[in-house]
Amino acid sequence: MVSRDDILSVLRTIDDPEMAISIVDLGLVERVQDADGHVTIDILPTFVGCHALPVIESEIRRKLAAIPGVSSVQVQICYSPPWNVDRITPAGRATLRKHGIAVPESADPTIETRESCPWCGSLDIRQESPFGPTRCRTIWYCEACHNPFERLKRVALGDLMELSLGRLRH
Amino acid sequence: MDRISEDLKQPLVELILSIADDKFILGHRNSDWTGLAPILEEDIAFSSLSQDEISHATVLYQMAAGLVETTADKLAYGRKPEEYRCAQIVELSHDFDWAFSVCRDFFCDHFDYLRLSRLARSSYTPLAQVAARLVPEEEIHVHHIDTLMKRLGSGTKESHDRMQNALERLAPVASGLVEPTKGSELLEKQDIYPVTNPSMFEAWSKKIRQVADAANLKLSLRPMRPDEIGGRRGRHSSEFAALLDELTEVYRLEPEAAW
Repeated sequence: MVSRDDILSVLRTIDDPEMAISIVDLGLVERVQDADGHVTIDILPTFVGCHALPVIESEIRRKLAAIPGVSSVQVQICYSPPWNVDRITPAGRATLRKHGIAVPESADPTIETRESCPWCGSLDIRQESPFGPTRCRTIWYCEACHNPFERLKRVALGDLMELSLGRLRH
Repeated sequence: MDRISEDLKQPLVELILSIADDKFILGHRNSDWTGLAPILEEDIAFSSLSQDEISHATVLYQMAAGLVETTADKLAYGRKPEEYRCAQIVELSHDFDWAFSVCRDFFCDHFDYLRLSRLARSSYTPLAQVAARLVPEEEIHVHHIDTLMKRLGSGTKESHDRMQNALERLAPVASGLVEPTKGSELLEKQDIYPVTNPSMFEAWSKKIRQVADAANLKLSLRPMRPDEIGGRRGRHSSEFAALLDELTEVYRLEPEAAW
């Protein structure tokens, strides 16, 4: 008998190859099922075109298959519910910030948030490009410490409002 | 509902392929700008948009493949030109005219956004879920392209004239996007492709005209006549066969190869 905790603790050791936090902290793991050693993991992609998915899939298969009692591993990519930034854990947020990636406080665009530079904390920041190095990130610039940083897209209806702000001043 | 009856399978596949083929071919055309777009930000943007389009196409090909027991690769690369269901506008060569590519995306992204929003309400749950997942991504495309339209349309005289010229070249073929797929009326009756009021053409043309107005550009569109046949029924532009030949060259060397 494989315990759910065993499976989850192994999943916590698998990092998103583009994000430096675990797939659990990033909120990609939607469901863990075990039927007599036949394990099925449901994964929600941040973006449909996420390039990291095949790597994440093969890592899950490789690492879970090594758990005693696991006889098969299936990874299913699911589109419902849609992933959004609310699924990231507080620990995940803190780690991302340390790596220079800001995370919107809420996926709900009607909630007013105080975004700040992950390097120096300044609120004097502006968006450089609504597209970035991966599908889920945008490029920003801090006017105070003159460093670029990245920010995750909310990936929720209402991204439009956010993108049209362009420059955030508080 | 999670399953559809046998008689609706073919109409549904026609509809899904029309969306997937639009996205696949548009993504392929736009990926030409990677490394060559006029400014760095647009290089990143068009590369990202192309990735989105091709990944959206992949998910839709997978869904269609499940309905007719084939593979996504065979659908994407293994059909004859007349079996593709894309609208002719996505096929045309841009000849590295930036205004042409921006204006083409303008027509296509707005139409895609409406089409996917409509499908997010589909009674066929698997399709509704995928469409709902794609809408926020398509929303980003629409916003980006509208920003470009306004900046270039109201920029310098040269940028304005280039945009106006591209719009006029594309407008006559753009309406082909709205051409119904074979059997779509059956899907509408079952709410698999929910009917819209106003019609797709009205909703789409109204929205893009608003943006064109704000961009200081003139746009005149006419709906396709019912007797006209276009890409949704397999009639493609003269450029399509050559495009497909290039796109499928590697696949045809070894169709059964695993990637």
